[in-house]
Amino acid sequence: MSSSAVAIRLENVTQRFRVIQERPDTVRELFSKFFRHQSSYHDFEAVKNASFEVPQGQMLGLIGRNGSGKSTILKIVSGVYRPTSGTVQVQGSLAPLIELGAGFHHELTGRENIMLNGLLMGYSKREMLGRQQGIIDFAEIGDFIDSPVKQYSSGMYMRLAFSVATEVDPQILVIDEILAVGDAGFQDKCFERIRNFRRAGKTILMVTHNMAQVAQHCDRAILVDKGSIIADGLPDDVIEVYKSLLALEAVAAH
Amino acid sequence: MIELVRDTYRYRELIWALALKELKIRYKRSVLGFMWALLNPALLMVVLTLVFSTVMRFAIPHYAIFLLSVLLPWTFFSQSLSYAVESIVSNGDLIKKIRVPKLVFPMAAVVSNIINLLLSLIPLALLVPLLRHPFYWTWVYLPVPLLALAIFTLGMTFFFAAANVYYRDVSHILQILLSAWFYLTPIIYPLDLIPARYQWIFKLNPMIYVINGFRLAVYYGKLPKAPSIVASFVCAFLSLFLGFAIFRKYQDNFVFYV
Repeated sequence: MSSSAVAIRLENVTQRFRVIQERPDTVRELFSKFFRHQSSYHDFEAVKNASFEVPQGQMLGLIGRNGSGKSTILKIVSGVYRPTSGTVQVQGSLAPLIELGAGFHHELTGRENIMLNGLLMGYSKREMLGRQQGIIDFAEIGDFIDSPVKQYSSGMYMRLAFSVATEVDPQILVIDEILAVGDAGFQDKCFERIRNFRRAGKTILMVTHNMAQVAQHCDRAILVDKGSIIADGLPDDVIEVYKSLLALEAVAAH
Repeated sequence: MIELVRDTYRYRELIWALALKELKIRYKRSVLGFMWALLNPALLMVVLTLVFSTVMRFAIPHYAIFLLSVLLPWTFFSQSLSYAVESIVSNGDLIKKIRVPKLVFPMAAVVSNIINLLLSLIPLALLVPLLRHPFYWTWVYLPVPLLALAIFTLGMTFFFAAANVYYRDVSHILQILLSAWFYLTPIIYPLDLIPARYQWIFKLNPMIYVINGFRLAVYYGKLPKAPSIVASFVCAFLSLFLGFAIFRKYQDNFVFYV
């Protein structure tokens, strides 16, 4: 297997969270817990022994119910979480679109936020200056670019955030349920850009609840349930498995 | 340690941008804006000078300069810590969404306060001739204690920022600690005021060595003795080593606690 063709590789990745029932937020609680020898947490495995590879240029959709571990997988791939065990390899620059505008500061202008966000994603000042105009043009916010982003409409805010995250030309794009926002016109524009990304041979990993999007855009889908990967294959097949899982659940609920 | 230097260099643009952001937000919506960075210490100096030259008279000539020469560095230290202690927690949203090097946050707090400190030295330099205090050539020595102070402060900010992620009490404890520390450090009084047999206790305070150079250079026109300079850098690097070691050990887990 040539490693250059693999964009993302997860091997036996487990992410354990310590779920604290009564969080000792203060030193007093810490001491009282310590002296009473209480354990007030339990460990919860959000992702269990997950392994998969994403070849370069593939568009992969992660599907599953709320709380199944999809977003945790995205955060592991993005490097936000360091997994409890297992290995993660990512080849190439990665742009996380986990929450649009996460790096924005309300008091800063659009232009200042473009720079700050770019630097936060690991790009240099020079690179960001070079891409600035492209970002502003794609976001279509005109003169507002020099106003603080707190004055933006939510649509403008999202457009700018999407524009920053994608204009930097990452090799891997990680998208978490963000294309549900914005008006239809802008959504089309986003998908147009994502299609361009695919044409350029970039890798895309997305989480969505919109099965039509998965069926229409993805090359492959992975179904995650209770932290484990239970189906992996062509979108239509995996969506079928997901539907039967939901149906089974509905029957069990009755 | 190599990691610290490497990451600082690698993320220098980000650290700088975050520091400027902090300053910008601190002075936003004020008519005078950035001018406050100069005006604030200047007005403080006016108040202090008036108080100590008319109301409370000390045996120390030009007491305002005596005081400010170390009060300004102290303010840098305490402000940096107060900002940095919350720096990881308040950037929690960001840390949970983007992979970002955590060390940039306490670092930006220190850098933004260094800018403030440097700006506040300007009104001090104007005050010196105004009060007819000699303007000593030893001012050129100031970068040396500045460096020691910045390193010392940075180490402390790493420790407190990390500790505050786990126990939010830390930010409150810090405020008490800072005010106790302020009075235990010869800032408003000279060290000679302390009876000789207790002086050794005060000399355990690392801050003495770190800020000693400021008062000597600005007020007395002298340079610190070699052992004092060495002590200041030993304290500074100890603080940095320990602070960063603790920060580094826990930084991957911050995301679960913010």
